[in-house]
Amino acid sequence: MKYRIKHITEYLYANRVSHCYNVAHMNPRNTLRQKCLSARVSVSPATSHASKREDYFGNTAYHFEIQRPHKKLIITAESEVNTDPQHSKLKLDFGLSCAQARELLRTSTQADVLLSREFLLDSSMVKALPALRDYAGPSFQEDRPLLSCVQDLTHRIFTDFKYCPESTTVATPVLEVLEKRKGVCQDFAHLEIGCLRAMGFPAKYVSGYIETLPPPGQEKLVGTDASHAWISVYSPTEGWFEFDPTNDCLAGEQHIITAWGRDYFDVTPLRGVIFGGGENPVLNISVDVARI
Amino acid sequence: MPVSHQSQSSSQSQGTIRQDALSYPFDTQVRLDEVYTRDGQVREHWQYVLDSLQSLGNQAFAERQEKALRILRDDGATYNIYSEQNSPSRTWGLDLVPALISSEEWASIEAGLLERAELFNLILKDLYGPRELIRKGVIPPEALFAHRGFLRACQNLSLPGEHDLILHAVDMMRDDQGNMCVMTDRTQSPSGAGYALENRTVMSRVLPSLFRDSQVHRLAAFFQKLRAKLNSLAPNLEKQPRVVVLTPGAHNETYFEHAYIANYLGLDLVQSGDLVVRNGYVWMKSLDGLTRVDVILRRVDDWYCDPVELRSDSQLGVANLLEVVRAGHVIIANPLGSGVLENPVFLKYLPQMAKALLGRELRLQSVNTYWGGDPKDAEYIQNNLDQLVIKPIFRGNGTRSVITSELTANQRKDMLTLMRERPLEFVAQPMLQASHLPSFVNGELKPRPALLRTFAVASDTSYMLMPGGLTRVAVESSSFIISNQTGSLSKDTWVIASEPERKLDLDEMHETLLSSRDQELISLPSRVVENLFWMGRYAERAEASLRILRTVFMLLNGEESISDTCRRILLSAVTEVSSTHPGFVDAPDSLIASPDEELLLVVRDADRLGSVRSNLNAMLFCSDESKELLSSDTLRVINDIRDALNELDTALQGGLASAPEEALDPLVTALMALSGLSHESMVHGVGWRFMEMGRRLERGTQTANIIRELLVPEVNPSDQQVLIEAMLLTMETLISYRRRYRARMGVQSSLDLVMMDTSNPRSLLYQIDKLAEHIQHLPKAPDNRHELATEERAILEAQTSIRLSLLTELSNVRDEGQRKMLLACLDRLSELLGTMSNLITDKYFDHRETSHQLVRSTWDTAQ
Repeated sequence: MKYRIKHITEYLYANRVSHCYNVAHMNPRNTLRQKCLSARVSVSPATSHASKREDYFGNTAYHFEIQRPHKKLIITAESEVNTDPQHSKLKLDFGLSCAQARELLRTSTQADVLLSREFLLDSSMVKALPALRDYAGPSFQEDRPLLSCVQDLTHRIFTDFKYCPESTTVATPVLEVLEKRKGVCQDFAHLEIGCLRAMGFPAKYVSGYIETLPPPGQEKLVGTDASHAWISVYSPTEGWFEFDPTNDCLAGEQHIITAWGRDYFDVTPLRGVIFGGGENPVLNISVDVARI
Repeated sequence: MPVSHQSQSSSQSQGTIRQDALSYPFDTQVRLDEVYTRDGQVREHWQYVLDSLQSLGNQAFAERQEKALRILRDDGATYNIYSEQNSPSRTWGLDLVPALISSEEWASIEAGLLERAELFNLILKDLYGPRELIRKGVIPPEALFAHRGFLRACQNLSLPGEHDLILHAVDMMRDDQGNMCVMTDRTQSPSGAGYALENRTVMSRVLPSLFRDSQVHRLAAFFQKLRAKLNSLAPNLEKQPRVVVLTPGAHNETYFEHAYIANYLGLDLVQSGDLVVRNGYVWMKSLDGLTRVDVILRRVDDWYCDPVELRSDSQLGVANLLEVVRAGHVIIANPLGSGVLENPVFLKYLPQMAKALLGRELRLQSVNTYWGGDPKDAEYIQNNLDQLVIKPIFRGNGTRSVITSELTANQRKDMLTLMRERPLEFVAQPMLQASHLPSFVNGELKPRPALLRTFAVASDTSYMLMPGGLTRVAVESSSFIISNQTGSLSKDTWVIASEPERKLDLDEMHETLLSSRDQELISLPSRVVENLFWMGRYAERAEASLRILRTVFMLLNGEESISDTCRRILLSAVTEVSSTHPGFVDAPDSLIASPDEELLLVVRDADRLGSVRSNLNAMLFCSDESKELLSSDTLRVINDIRDALNELDTALQGGLASAPEEALDPLVTALMALSGLSHESMVHGVGWRFMEMGRRLERGTQTANIIRELLVPEVNPSDQQVLIEAMLLTMETLISYRRRYRARMGVQSSLDLVMMDTSNPRSLLYQIDKLAEHIQHLPKAPDNRHELATEERAILEAQTSIRLSLLTELSNVRDEGQRKMLLACLDRLSELLGTMSNLITDKYFDHRETSHQLVRSTWDTAQ
């Protein structure tokens, strides 16, 4: 599927900002199932210096500094991207069992497997806590295929948790989400990542967009008006598989990836330091995903 | 050849042993002694030093030790300054008995350490590059990924030249076999090289002949190489590169060293607020604008260096620094991310890593290291807990090594639980019994365990090792942990040459460094200049308060009683001059009648803004912040002020009657010494000018205050005499007045002396003329217009208004009990001085806006 995406982020500050430095993860990256055809970021007021680079995880990071005083900052990220569904022949009921996957993770000397172990470890926002292990446990049986177990976990999160756009801020601790049984896509992604790591399987955080127009005859997907987040789990030798706990599905053509990392903190769409500006800036975000 | 222990006494002193001979007998309790072989023979390279100490005697040695302490204190050599607000800084501890290493042994240590530095450089390049060590299974992925020092934002950073790792330091001690064994590597921003140099400087002054005759390898070459390496890293080699030392600030435990190294190498010492990123480059904010920075020698831990991409709550970094580094527009040494090499887990895998990267194993051993992330090791740790030290893999706030045998049962249980829950985050190492060195303890030489830190710097195609290093000895013979935090002493480390060394051109190096410094003085960070400005102001403000207090104490306790009117006027003057309102201004009669308590508070209450103590504390803080520009004589006087301040409460115990002599005089004298020294021993560059401007502005303001308080009120003639005398006494012009006028005190003649006489360094006009002179010399933007700048207009008006005043008018025009013209004139002068101060601070100093994070995360502290 081919899409054109326009993502506008607007900050309104109470006081004048004299200068600022930011880094944005807003342009789609290339993956096995996705190709970014064109991408650009424009910033108002004009930047005094800007650069683009590939970060540690292979995402596109856009850095800019603004040296002129302003009370309003607008970042417009536009791109065109071509997406495919994941592994079209994927059969979740076949493949490595949990036990086999665990054994390979422990013993395999393949570079991919070794490198995947980075995503087993705690990261700043997701820790493999015992409570997550307890929650995830019922979905996992040692002789059952790993991916089928993950699908089950994804389904349970979808059923047990309430999607509640106002319920959390960006930084809700996973344990609080688990306890309150509600959250937004970031929270469900963090929760599922924590569960997978606690069970001993590498998992990453995937940040991006979802097309929310309902295809004819199908139910409308619940996403956000802005951006979306889901997870990717690693099955040794088989690769990474993306699941979307907010929509209880495998990520497909309608899931457009901007960046992935260990958790939200690695791929925050926009972060930075501002000088001045006062308290509580107003943030407006609009995302438009159009088929072309 | 080892020389017999018994024969040592006869070698120099012709058989007679002095009464107080300083000897170091063989102690069979000590398992491993640097001085003796296992069978009690003195090692050859120790013989000369032992003999010399013996003939020097312990009395003389104790005196030298005292002298060394004095020098260190005067040099401002401290460790752990102000860890808490009011705790005094601790003077660096140096034990004068040197640690000796023979040239032969040093040669093999050196080869081992150079090889190790090369390996660590290759590891660093691999970890932030292809990570072959992980891809090929040389180390388990968790050995890297679980370490918080691995900064993913630093992927693919690399420096020009062969080496990314510029400085590599190592802590080592001897193992059971007597072989040197590495305990830890320091790669973040290794400290200690500056202290080693200071130790050496002190040793060569305190024990000159012993040092000279011992044929010790010199340290200067190491610093020359460091300077050359830093220069060579500059991205733009066409112009003289600007290299700065980035320090967390005066409160850092090793701040002395930051300032010391910056001065020795002729570099600017900057804090995060002195630097700014703009248009893709790093700039230093200096008086004449922004100056581009090419190379940063970093003394701030890497994860604090950039709040945009690293620790977002950091106040010690420079926003967007990392992006400038990526573009190659500034070079940082050690590079950001290098802290990961301090991961002790790597010690376990060092043999494999050396084979993979160097093609051979290292010749220098590391301490055996067991890691919780390895199942076999984890089991070993559980079974041998009492013989092990447990270390967290990441050195951060609140983490420390634990000797498990010293734990209570409960602590031990908690420790085991923590290690079971987070096995990847701990290593365990055996407790090595360090070899012992003679240490001067209570007048005797006693064996103490010792640890050596060595320093290597990248140089062209290899590394260069400092010939020597920083030795630290434990306080107790049985101590296992040797750290400055636990009060260890340091030693100079002498690598003893078998033949005299070719003398290095030390003086020459010094000269070139100093001259380059002078020329660039104008580009000082504006923060430093601002601190000098305020140091001048606070010193003068404290002095003014002290002077009026001294006068008032003397008059209140004098032989002749003074009238109630005078009493009230004098006490109000104390409040006005010190700005400690409400105080005595419009106070009830009861307070005026018994003022002692309030007066003492004005002297000593640190929490009262305007008190002598609070002004001096502020002055001391400013001096800490600009320490690198102050001469050692100046630092000595500042130490005196600190001492006098610490003893103030004791000195004030005698009450008001003896306060002037006991408490106030020493402070006034020290402050005057300070002002004299800054005049005589500071380069009269921009920094000095700002300090002087601070002084002149403050003295002008205070002089105006004193005249206003004491001479504006109209009083009867006998009171007038008392007040004039009080004013002249306070301004230290009583004697010149008497010499000049010999007659009764007159209002006009005294006003002439304190307002208009430019030969009186305490007169108002003198301050204003000096200010005018300094303002003329400040850096200015080239401008062809002839219009005066605002501060120039203010100064001209001040000068003119005094010069045009008529003494008869000032003295005689009266209204409602006040000298009206005098009051108007003084008020206007105070206002002009205030305007000038604001104009100067606004124009030249940086007033930072506070920064915030766009996205606030409560959790990123973990990273």
